[in-house]
Amino acid sequence: MIDQLRQTCKKLLEEGAVQVVIGYGQDKPSMMPHPVFITKPEDTDRLVWNDLCFANLAAYVTRKEIKALGKPAVIVKGCDERALVVLEQESQFTRDGIYVIGMACDSLPASGMGNPRAAKCASCAVRTPRYADVTIGEAAVGSSAVGSSSCSTADTEFADLDEFMKKTPAERLAYWKVELSRCVKCYACREVCPMCYCNRCLVDKNRPTAIDTSATIKGNLAWHIARAFHQAGRCVGCDECTRACPAGINLRLLNQSLAKAAERAFAYKAGMDKETPPVIGSYSLEDKESFIE
Amino acid sequence: MSDVISKNDLLRLVDQWLAEGKRVIGPVKMGDGVILYAPVAVSGQLVLDGFVHPANSIKEAVFPRSETIYTYTFNGQEIELSDVEPDCTECIVIGARPCDAASLPILDHLFNWDYQDKFYNARRAATTVVTLACTEYDDDCFCTSVGLGPAANQGSDAMLSSAPDGAHGTCVFEVRALTDKGQALFGGKTGGKTSAAEIKVPISDGPAKKFDTVDIETFLKNNYESEAWRDITMRCLGCGACAYNCPTCHCFDIVDEGDAAGGRRVKNWDSCQFGQFTVHASGHNPRAVQAQRQRQRIQHKFRIYPEKFGAILCTGCGTCTRNCPVGLGVLNTLEAIAAIARASIEVK
Repeated sequence: MIDQLRQTCKKLLEEGAVQVVIGYGQDKPSMMPHPVFITKPEDTDRLVWNDLCFANLAAYVTRKEIKALGKPAVIVKGCDERALVVLEQESQFTRDGIYVIGMACDSLPASGMGNPRAAKCASCAVRTPRYADVTIGEAAVGSSAVGSSSCSTADTEFADLDEFMKKTPAERLAYWKVELSRCVKCYACREVCPMCYCNRCLVDKNRPTAIDTSATIKGNLAWHIARAFHQAGRCVGCDECTRACPAGINLRLLNQSLAKAAERAFAYKAGMDKETPPVIGSYSLEDKESFIE
Repeated sequence: MSDVISKNDLLRLVDQWLAEGKRVIGPVKMGDGVILYAPVAVSGQLVLDGFVHPANSIKEAVFPRSETIYTYTFNGQEIELSDVEPDCTECIVIGARPCDAASLPILDHLFNWDYQDKFYNARRAATTVVTLACTEYDDDCFCTSVGLGPAANQGSDAMLSSAPDGAHGTCVFEVRALTDKGQALFGGKTGGKTSAAEIKVPISDGPAKKFDTVDIETFLKNNYESEAWRDITMRCLGCGACAYNCPTCHCFDIVDEGDAAGGRRVKNWDSCQFGQFTVHASGHNPRAVQAQRQRQRIQHKFRIYPEKFGAILCTGCGTCTRNCPVGLGVLNTLEAIAAIARASIEVK
């Protein structure tokens, strides 16, 4: 798989089809795979691929430093590709302006470093990318998601959320107050997020200030509620925010709450289907109004 | 003979400090398994072994993430300002790593240079640091590369070294009081907090040296415009996970928070990795791209601060590297720089 990936990227760079490959590298065997930007065909040997390639590289396609390198080929897993779908729907790039290399997770090589797979992987419905220009790796026989763009969800997808929602509202608020008290506002959650591409984030607005910048309970609740709201119907559940948080705050729970609401109320799952208009960006007479009371 | 305290006695002592109204900060395991330095309510929350380094640093003991420096109220056309007294609550940091303790004397320079920060100084004076010498290290540790080590005592008031206690199958700590503050906590041989015993404390060599700071400083002086900055730091996403958890990063922003009736002026952590950090009122940003911000971070730590204060602004704790969502951090950046520096020496 890795040979095929490297060969594909080498050819793309040699032929000038792309100017940069956004992929995974591992400078030292001891380190987690990390994003690399390959611009020379001979450097494609630096690319790696294994079950610790967590970073969602879609976060780079909207960044000005990366855009300056020229047309990119971006390596995505099925979950990461959902982010590309939303970004394209939100006009953040044109599809012919990027080359998408899809990696099938069913044949994901083990890194040998243990602890593979993230929480999201257990209920993944997109182990094989659907819209890539080229897909590398075999999809397992009977893999439910091959070529699928349906909204079907594994029963387990919202298991953690459903368990959490059994608590009373007061208990849930108490939980978040404790969890969010650890937030120091490093904004790692925002920066790793492919959907957080605003040039100037709401929390950075200071003329006047929209949200307290202090990492106090008030400021932290305001930030995390604002972050979550802006992800409603857009978050693709890649869980990068949760992985990136140095304080171990389970932002996945907040994201899932929004994802479940979009699914239940609008039968919408962000980034699953290119042809389905974004729930936030479209209006339908069929939309439920039951939330207005 | 060494001064020795058993783990149980140490925890009892911690509970006694808490009962006396002291603030105790130490490594605590959070709900999701992440270990952070945090205030403890009971000694049982402390985690003293089985991990390399908490995901943050001890700097909050002296430099909180958010601190009110005065308050204001509007009274018609009048504005009334009220001082806020610095927090002088006695604070004991227990189980600090030597690389965290070492950050305090480094920070002292900055907070007492052109302006004496009374808030920092009050907390610093009220804080006693009890360090636990390291027995383990990981691939991201590099204390030995910046002149420290697993039992470096800079910034520590007392140092504990754990030793297996053959007789009880549990752990005992050798206690070395290094300052009067440390002496006051444990009281020495006559204070009754410790006992004298013959124990053998295993000594760790610490991680192998990973780069030479002279190479780094030379590179930094001569390669300000190098393309290496862009190439090495391309993957940086510009969050503050490195700076906010760093024991020595100390940048802050001053903001007002309040409403039409009044509010408070606050000193909040800030990070040079944020794009907005250097934006001028005109809109111009002298550090327009992420590579320039990364260059600043490394230049500040390994050239500017040493030139100004004679101390490297890094203790080799590796926290930035462990926390970096894209696997960068100071260590990986410096190793890349050191490789370039060595290659250029070989060419010459």
